[in-house]
This record gives sequence, C-alpha cells and structure tokens, in this order.
Amino acid sequence: MEEPKHIFIGKKTIRKDGIPKVTGTLKFSSDIYVPGMLVGRVFKSPYAFADVKRIDTSEAERMGAVVITPDDVPDKIFNPRLVSIFEVTYKDYRVLTKHPRYLGDAIAAVAAPTEEAAQRALEAIKVEFERVYEPILDPFEAMSPSAPLIHKRILKGDEWIDVKNNVGCTLEYSEGDVDKALKEADVVLERRFRTNRRYHMQLEPKTSVCIPHSDGSITIYSTTQTIHNTRILISQIFDIPMSKINVVKVPIGGSFGSSIQINPVVPISVALCLKARKPVKISMTREEDIYDHAAYQMHFKIRAGAKSDGTLIAGELENIMDIGAHQIQAYPLLGTALGWFVSLYKWKNIRYVGKAVYTNKVPTCAFRGYGAPQVSWAVETLIDEMAEELGIDPVEFRLKNYVGKGDIFWGQGPTVKSIIRSDGVPELLQRGKELIGWERRRPPSEKTGRYRRGIGVGRSFHTSGAGGPISGETIDYTGAILKLNEDGTIDYITALQDHGGGTLDAHVKIIAEELGVPPDLINLVWSDTQTTLYDVCTHASRGTYVGGGAAVQAARELKNKIFNYAIRVLNKAVNQDMLELGYDKELGQAVVYVRDNPQMRITLKDLATIAWQRNWGTISTTVTYRSKAAPPSFTVYFVEVEVDTYTGKVRPVKVIAGADIGTVINPDYAAGQLHGGFAQGWGMATLEDTIYDPRTGELTNKGFITDYKILTAPDMPKLDDFQVIFAHTYEPTGPHGAKGLGEAALNSVAGAVANAIYNAIGVRFYELPITPERILEALKKKGR
Amino acid sequence: MTQVNIRPSRHNLYNTHIIPVRFEYFAPSSLEEALELLNKYGSEAKVLAGGTDLLVKMKMRVVEPKYVINIKKLKELSYIRDEGGEVRIGALTKWRELERSDVIMKYFPALYDAVKAMGGTQIRNMATIGGNLCNASPAADSAPPLMVLEARLILASREGEREVPITQFFKGPGKTVMRPDELLKEIIIPKPEPGTGSAFIKVARTAMDLAKISAATAVKVEDGRIKFARIAIGSAAPTPVRAWKTEEALKGKPFTPEVIRENVKLVETEISPIDDVRSTAFYRREVSKVIVEDALILSHERVVKGWMK
Repeated sequence: MEEPKHIFIGKKTIRKDGIPKVTGTLKFSSDIYVPGMLVGRVFKSPYAFADVKRIDTSEAERMGAVVITPDDVPDKIFNPRLVSIFEVTYKDYRVLTKHPRYLGDAIAAVAAPTEEAAQRALEAIKVEFERVYEPILDPFEAMSPSAPLIHKRILKGDEWIDVKNNVGCTLEYSEGDVDKALKEADVVLERRFRTNRRYHMQLEPKTSVCIPHSDGSITIYSTTQTIHNTRILISQIFDIPMSKINVVKVPIGGSFGSSIQINPVVPISVALCLKARKPVKISMTREEDIYDHAAYQMHFKIRAGAKSDGTLIAGELENIMDIGAHQIQAYPLLGTALGWFVSLYKWKNIRYVGKAVYTNKVPTCAFRGYGAPQVSWAVETLIDEMAEELGIDPVEFRLKNYVGKGDIFWGQGPTVKSIIRSDGVPELLQRGKELIGWERRRPPSEKTGRYRRGIGVGRSFHTSGAGGPISGETIDYTGAILKLNEDGTIDYITALQDHGGGTLDAHVKIIAEELGVPPDLINLVWSDTQTTLYDVCTHASRGTYVGGGAAVQAARELKNKIFNYAIRVLNKAVNQDMLELGYDKELGQAVVYVRDNPQMRITLKDLATIAWQRNWGTISTTVTYRSKAAPPSFTVYFVEVEVDTYTGKVRPVKVIAGADIGTVINPDYAAGQLHGGFAQGWGMATLEDTIYDPRTGELTNKGFITDYKILTAPDMPKLDDFQVIFAHTYEPTGPHGAKGLGEAALNSVAGAVANAIYNAIGVRFYELPITPERILEALKKKGR
Repeated sequence: MTQVNIRPSRHNLYNTHIIPVRFEYFAPSSLEEALELLNKYGSEAKVLAGGTDLLVKMKMRVVEPKYVINIKKLKELSYIRDEGGEVRIGALTKWRELERSDVIMKYFPALYDAVKAMGGTQIRNMATIGGNLCNASPAADSAPPLMVLEARLILASREGEREVPITQFFKGPGKTVMRPDELLKEIIIPKPEPGTGSAFIKVARTAMDLAKISAATAVKVEDGRIKFARIAIGSAAPTPVRAWKTEEALKGKPFTPEVIRENVKLVETEISPIDDVRSTAFYRREVSKVIVEDALILSHERVVKGWMK
C-alpha cells in the first residue's frame, strides 16, 4: 500500500463556492434574469392516459401570450439522456405530446412577460380529449396481455420496435447452472421485494433559460449535469448546428441524478424562445418538479442457495422495473442492476431476468446509486437471513462471500468491467464491528419491553465512473484545459459539473498537488460548451475519479511544458528530467528547481512573467481523457436503532459509516457525503414514497411537499453518535489513489437499517419504506 | 381500451411561485375597521394573519377569496397578559412569542410542548395562535392543549363580543362556529389549579410535520387518586376532540400505570380516524391510546418532579 505525502490533498479547505453560497450571492439557473425575458409555463396533462383531440390556444394568444402546441415543435422522438451509445438508446419522448401517458406529460406551453400573465394564459388554453383511459399503475397489470399499450411503437436507435405487453426493454443473463446449484444447496431462500418510488427532492427545481441571438444562435442556461449532452440533444431535436448553440455551465442546486437526462423544460424553453424570438425562462414549481422525475421502482424476486459451510453457490434475480411513462435509462439500468447483484457476492451460478415496464406514472430516472440502493437493500436483507439460517455471524458470512480484491467488478452493467485493485471491505467490517459494539448484538428473541434496540450491518459499493480499456455501451470520457497565466497562476477549465459535492474543489486540489500551485491561485472557470472539451456527464460517481484523472494528466502535461521553458532560464541545467516543480511553503508559491540542486530554482511566477515578456507564448494544455478502469468504492454501515413497539417509530441511535474511497482528497466533504447519504438512506428505508390515486393516476399529495416529507437535522442521530471511518486503501488507477463516493455513501444504508430493525423486533420487511404504520401492523400480527 | 369518466387534475391551476388568485386586498389599521370590513365582505373574505395556512391554500387553489383582509397591522391583538387567575393571549400573537414567554411555559406546559412541536423557527415567526385555531385543521397543534386547559375564545364583530369555550369552537375540517362577520380576538386560559400537570405529545412523520395523531392531557392527582383528567386528541376525527368518556372513567381512580392503561382503551371509542396520505385509521386508533397514556403519565410526572428548570 502506497501512502504518499501530500501537501494539499487530504487537508481541510474552504470550498471555492462556499462564501458565495453562504452569502446567497451565487447565481443558479433559477436566478437568471435577462432584459426582455418572457416567463414560460407548461400545460401538463390533467389525465394519466389520454389522447388529445383539439387544442384551442386562441384565448391565450388573444391575451398576448406566445403559445406552442405539438404542431409547433419538431416531429422528433428522442431519449433525453445521451450517455448510452445510439444502438441501445430507446426513444419514446417528444417535446410536446398529443398522447399524454402520465398526469404531467407536457401538451402545450405559453410564454408571457410575467409569471402572472403566463399563468393566466396557461389557464386560458382549452384542451379537448378524444379519449381518456383508465390509468395502468401496476407493472404486473401492465404486462397482462389484455392491458392496453401505453406506447405502441418506440425507437431503438433509429429502428422502430413494437412494444409488447408494455415491456419497454429486457435483459437476460446467465452463468453456470442455477437450477443444479439450487438442488445442491443446503439452504435455499426465495424472497420477493418491492422498493419505494422516491422523489429526488433536490434543492433546485428544474429550470431552463433560452436566449436567442440575432445571428440565429441560442444560449441556454439550465439545471443540468451535462452541458455538452444538452447541446447535442437540442441540436438533434431542432436541427440547429452545434456551433450555433452554447450551453453555459451554471451552479446547480443539487440533482441526485435527476438531470443526467435533459429535463423537459429545456427543449420546451427552446421551442418557446424560437417562436417568440425573445429570451424565455421556465422555472418549475416544486409541485411540477415532483411530477417530473422519480426513482426507479423495482420489484425483485431473489432465489439464493448456499452450502452449510457458508459458501454461496447460486443467485437468481428477477427484476421488474416500474419505469413510469417514459424510458430515460431503463435499458442500461437493467444491466447495472445485474452488475450490482453479481458484484455484491460470489453467487457462482447466476441467472437474471430484467424487464422495464411502462406504467402511467411519473417517468423514473437515476437517483443516487442508480439501482444499487434498491438491489443492495434486497440482497443485504436476504444475506442477513441466509446467515441466520446457516447459523453464521452475518459479518463473517459477508467476508466469506463478497466480491473483493482480484475479482471482477461490473461498474456499469455487462459492458463495463474491471479487476478490483483496492478493497477496504475487511478493514471496514472489522473496525465497524468494534466501533458499534457488535458483541452487544443479541437475537431479537431475547428482547422484550416497549423500546427494543437492534444492530444491523449493510454493505454495498458504487462504481467510479463508467470508463475502462474497452469501449462498451456507455460513453465515458472528459476533458480538461489548464492555462498558466502571466503571473504564474492557473486557469482550470472543464465542462464537468459539480452537483454541490465539491467535485471541482477536489480537482483543484489534485492540480495544486501536481503543480505546487496553492488552490487559491487556481481559478475554477465557470465555462460553457463552446470553450470546453466534451464531458459526458457528472454521474456514476465519476467526478473525482474521472475528472480528477483528467486533471492529473493535464497538470502533468503542463508541468512538462513548464520544464521546457524552465530549462532555458535555469542556465546550467541540462537534463529536463531532473527538474522538479513543487510548493515552497515560505514563498507560498510554486517553484521549479533542479533535483539534488535545489538552490538552482525559479518561481513559477517569475518563469511565467519571463515567458510573457520574452514572447515565448502561453503555456497551456488540453487533454481529453478516458479512465482506465471503473473501480468500486465500498461502503459499510453499522447502524443501531431503537424501535418503540407501541408507536412503531424507529430512531437511529448510533451510526458507523465506513467508506473505502482510496485516497481521501477532501476529508470533510467526504464525511459530509456519508452524513447526507445516511439521511437519504434513512428516508428511503423508513419514510419516503410517492403514492398514486388508483383511479386518476394523480399523486395523492398532488405534488405538494407538505405530504412528501424528507428528513431534517432533528431526525438524525446526534453528531457524537455518527462516526465516519475511511479505509486505508490506494486505488492504483485513480488520481493520487482516489475513488468516487457520492452514490456509495447511500447505497448500503437501507440494508443496514432494515437489518437493524429486524434485529430489534424480529420482523423482516420486504417492502419499502418500513413506516411506523407497517411496523405496528406487523407487530400486531406477530403478537408483539 | 376502457374509456372512463375521470375527473381531470387541477394541477395546471397550481402555481406556488405566485398567488395565482385575483382578490381585493385590505389592510385595516384598527379592530373597528377590520370588523367593519368583515361585516361588509365576510362571506367572501378571508382573514390574513400569519399567512402560513392561508397563502398555501390560495396557492393550491383550495380557497379563492374575493377579498383578503390583512389584520397584521392590528398590533393591539398581539399580547400575552398574566391577569392573576387567567392569562389572556391576543389572537395575533405569534408562536415564537408564545415560545419565548415565561408565563406560557410556567402555567401551560401542554401548550408549550405544542409550540415547540409546531413547524420550524421560520414558521413560528410568522404563524399566529389565532390563525392556527381559525384554520380549524383537525391537526391544529394548539387545539388539544387549549382544550384540556379549558380555554375560552372571544369572538368580536360589529355587534359586540361573545365568549365561546374552545370545546365548542370547532365544527369540522376548516369549520368553526364563527360567523363570517366575526374575528377571533382573544384566547383566555384559566391558570390550572395548583397540582395540575399537563402535556402534549405529537406523532408525525418527521420532526417538522403536521400531526398524524396528537394528544394533550391535564391531570390532577390528590391522595393518589385522579381528581380530574382531561384528554384531547388531534388528527383523529373531523375536529380535535375531548375524550369525555375516558375522562369520566378515570375520575376518582387511583393514578397507577395499570389503571391508566386499562381506562385509556376507551379513547378508541371517542375518535373516528381515517386513512389518509399521512397515516392510517388503524395506526391512529392504536397510537392514540399510547400517547394519551404517555401524556397522562408525563403530566403527572411534571407535578411530582417539577416542570421548570
């Protein structure tokens, strides 16, 4: 294990957007205002499943509003997410539709000078419906042969395909002989699981501003995780050359995966802007946002078999995904769900059937963890049961069967695989056990009284990006530009977005470490598509690992160019390979010096000034970068809960959050990810869900967050009872040994919580969320 | 394909960026003026106090009043006065002021519990006690404590004032005995007789939420026997309710955990909970008994062990 000494990496620093955020001066898309700007509003389908007959816009237009209907937008079918290659991209979306497939599908839109005028115009639109159908809200009903088709035909790449039984796409896989293995197994468990359909509740609702220019070009500001894919999609839909579209990177108020796809407001704002020839801004209300995206809801059936010595020998997963009305990344998720399953434990014999099923519900998309929180909850519940059945300690059972160092990890489904080179699982399990007091753990049967405590463990991981040596079905590369300014400071330019986790601050630290230039002299440029290289998207926990990798490569190339110039001024030095660039603590800046002769030196500032004054030209570098692997970052949570068996309320008592992320670049942001990951995971495990009115297909909370609660600080354990631990690992393929974290921080929480609840009251739950209502009913059934 | 008659969603009417309702706005500067306006527009008007309920309802298009009468300027309706045997609270008094009042904390622990449990600081800085009552939500946090504290409400109109016991104030969800021309002016809470303890317990989805179920109790124990036990439940019926039968059953009985547990079973018969987006009827029925029991014990404990630090 290599543990290099770092000057900047691993140190606590104030993030670059910290003061602007705290003082409220940072401008988000929602804050953008340009003179003459119109406000757009979207007419959303009032029915979950219907066909439009006629749209009367006359009244709205008489009021002075610009109105668009499906007849005013290009007749294009698309998928708003461009991360997969063409051939496996399933398309069923339109900018506006005459065939709404969920209560919220955009039918028309208006733009007017004020929010009020736009609202009045929106209310003046009259839509007549040809047919209104009973909504199909259950995926199993949707698959029955008698169910009407939500989409008859969709595009796969450029090929039309007929949809059968409302199944949007499927994936099957097998390895070995599951049936034979199950027959040979000493213990076989078969369980069904249902996950909840959570809403992302990111801070900033989706927003898009489109500005037209006199030369026919447009500029877009939007809440996005990918400015480049935004540009490509808008170019494809509207047939505008990419050189005439500029998408500006604007700070985003969180996302959790809900803007990997280009959100519907973006093409709608472009269509309104092109018609109005004026800037148009659409900012969704929270109520509209909750009708815009949700987490994939999964129905699993798992069969698993083990020998009595605790060796797993078979694992079968059936994964029916209720994707809602449209496909965003259902197909790649069928692959990643399988990937998470096979990468959790060595099942040896594997069989998988995955189906993505259309229903008349809010379209689902990636939500922090991309299926791993769901799969891990189910598998970790089952593994816990299996260990109990076998009479083996749950931690030992996991250690015996988990996929670790030297094994193959599926980072992003079957086409993104790499060998695991760094693995902190044994360390995290061991330290976690000690810190939570695992030896205190007693079986539920020994617990009595009103308040019962339980301890549970859950483990998972997430990939770091979707790269690797082989080009698979996923696009994954990025770019970085570094520019040495005339005073020795650095401009760092990247298209990669920061969701708020501090990703770009990590890059800055990595560049600082490479060049010896302190972070506060490195300028993080908020840029746009016309001045950056392509970056696919900040998703898949790739920000630090892939973006940081590009930063390392760019910094190293820049360093070489600096040495080319330095050799000219360090006049007796002859061997460029013997030059070093490092931080001089006393001077507070970077210095080039000759190895073994450190007195021969020049500050980077002086060198940059000379290069400028003597007309040597700018030192800069541009790299496009694909990572060599997609390694897993492992997380292990140990959670102690207390269940009030009279009210069913569960309280987190103590949490040990363990993460193996290789080198820790920003320790306090990393700890923050684990605190946030736990909060979100606790919400997933015990609280959150979106519920539909079975008759209308409307959300029972009608979109209002009064009735979609998320947890706040008072619901969390006290800070003293929440301990973060990092494994001492080094990822050889990562920038300075680092791996990702954002998603892994969440993925293992629900499993740990569910296992802790079981340990407290002796009841297993196979449906999320595990609410006080469900707990009380279960206890009543069990007779407490 | 089945074609059906389905009620269309109203969601194109929602817009929480603005108040998407047209109304005429008044901001009277005296109580007299406010009552005059209510007399004139009452049935088509809504009174705006803190706005934490009204504005939400207007944005959701649940109410679309023709007239909005903002009474925020009526500073004379914001006070907490200790008048010996009773405490008078102006209807416009903000929750944050109740939270910071030693008088409320000292004499009315149940109300103080409710204040701490209602919203966050920002909401408590805006919301008024009168607004919470007039909104007449079955989940109103102030109602159960005021019911067990036997508060009285002063309703004012151009014709004069009348006094209504809070137990007779609520008529249904969003409905009270107030006439359209009336304004809630004051809440009078008699100081409980010495030796009385009170408490309020709320069960909600998160720390900052409306109640799934709530209960307030006030109890006095003399020589080991219950002199009186008052019980009020929120979120378990169309209005907050007093559990009269349970109270009656407890009267005169020894104050022991067993006696309480046995008798609070009656609570179930005094409520009519429903399934809704926040919880289930089953849960509310089960947990109502638990929190009434807990609140009774806590109320008494506060007398025995002392309440204020």
